[in-house]
Amino acid sequence: MRSYRLKIVRRTTHTENIFGLDFKYSGITPWPGQFFQVRVDEGVELFLNRPISVASYKRGHLLLVVKIVGRGTRTLSMKKAGDYLTLFGPFGRRFRPAHRKSLIIAGGIGIAPLHFLAEYMARRNIDFDVLYGVRNKDEFIFRSDLKRMASRVTFVAERGYREKETVVTRIRRMDLNDFSVGYACGPREMLMALQELKLPITTYAFCEDFMGCGCGLCLGCAIMHGGVYRRICIDGPVLSLGDIDFEV
Amino acid sequence: MTARFSALEILTLKCRIFDIEFKNPVFLASGTFEYGLIYRNVTNKAGAICTKGITARPRGGNPPPRIFETACGLINSVGLENPGVDVFCKETLPRMRSLKTRIFVNVAGFTVGEFVEIVGSIGPRVDGFELNVSCPNVDMGGVSFGRDPDVCAEVVARVRAVTELPLIVKLTANFCDPLVIARRCMEAGADGISLINTLHAMAFDLRKKEVLIQGGLSGPAIKPFALYCVHRLKELEVPIIGVGGIMSGADAYEFLLAGASAVEIGSAILRDPYSPLRIIKELKRYTG
Repeated sequence: MRSYRLKIVRRTTHTENIFGLDFKYSGITPWPGQFFQVRVDEGVELFLNRPISVASYKRGHLLLVVKIVGRGTRTLSMKKAGDYLTLFGPFGRRFRPAHRKSLIIAGGIGIAPLHFLAEYMARRNIDFDVLYGVRNKDEFIFRSDLKRMASRVTFVAERGYREKETVVTRIRRMDLNDFSVGYACGPREMLMALQELKLPITTYAFCEDFMGCGCGLCLGCAIMHGGVYRRICIDGPVLSLGDIDFEV
Repeated sequence: MTARFSALEILTLKCRIFDIEFKNPVFLASGTFEYGLIYRNVTNKAGAICTKGITARPRGGNPPPRIFETACGLINSVGLENPGVDVFCKETLPRMRSLKTRIFVNVAGFTVGEFVEIVGSIGPRVDGFELNVSCPNVDMGGVSFGRDPDVCAEVVARVRAVTELPLIVKLTANFCDPLVIARRCMEAGADGISLINTLHAMAFDLRKKEVLIQGGLSGPAIKPFALYCVHRLKELEVPIIGVGGIMSGADAYEFLLAGASAVEIGSAILRDPYSPLRIIKELKRYTG
């Protein structure tokens, strides 16, 4: 981990409440699943940094894609190209995806870390499909990118298409025999439903939580996994889905 | 009794408190640097580390959410997650021996006997103990030890009997006067007082209309109050470790002016694990 003072090269708007910050970055190379702690307030009012996963890293550019969910992310959304931000990281256990046919399962903003995983797998010629669901069909991001990298991409939405579908309803009808491993990121309800389906493939969840330090010091981001509390920030954020106890 | 800096010591920040030497008066507060093993380069430059609170039995800690940001600070409800004193002694403590700083074990008992048991098990392998008297006292219906001067004094006296190492009592300022408690603790044999621990706090989930988190408030939000508490204890002329929302060398110096011999850095670490190094550097500018 290191701390960085990075200049925003570009700010992109993806949907009404999803934006991207593109930094020129030559620091420690991030791995899939890793994230940065982004300082939103150089004053102390918004005290804690916000954990934001890496959405893309290539050719010296680091892209963070953020959904506005509260005051911190709203403050971040007001940053413009040319502004500087303090970042700490990369944090999180380095996750090495398997060289096997994989299925990416994304719900909403959960696509952000999975897009980075997709980039990583595409670069290593790992074959994968993507199943990507959102609430409203105008909320998709990285559409063309995903189509380019994946063998097959399935977009589903609860509103906007003739067929009202979610990731969970679609995966029930899918033949998963082709796949050996799945990577899921999305709302807690989605992860819980996926877990309940007991998918026949090894599935990893990219987890999130409010975080204090992001680096294992404060024990703030606990998740019950395999009967013990683990820290999402250093034991995860990528954890086997089947072992997570969401009820705790 | 209060530590004073000599001319040379001011330049190097070296200080003597409880008759032991510290390389500087900037300590790492309990619960915010775990056992000092993750960022050793920071630990090794700090005056001392206070470990995560150690209990007699292993504790899994509280269910999430454990952290919630509030204006200028945060509420935490980690629930003293730790492996318990046996595993701590067997696995963690040996790894801590290579740290180049003073080690104070934060001791969290739920009965008077547990305090004695933990300190006794650890023995003389560390530089001192910080007694966390903010836990609910199981023998007294769950009221915090720290609110009752008699019980605090009993804890200190009983622990004093089993160790000669420096004993710091980390006081709460929740619903009590720390001056009264501190006086009794010192009379019972404590070597110093650290204060303040987090303040009782809570936040609600407005959508569900229920409590979101209940725990301890820390960060710059509590700094002025912490400073007041430290200053209130100044008249005792005993070593005081000031804790509460210190973010900069200026904040730390303010605590020294209020009567503290040293300070502990807590929440600032969550924002930047390297902040203690910056605070040490900034503090030199004030004291130099």
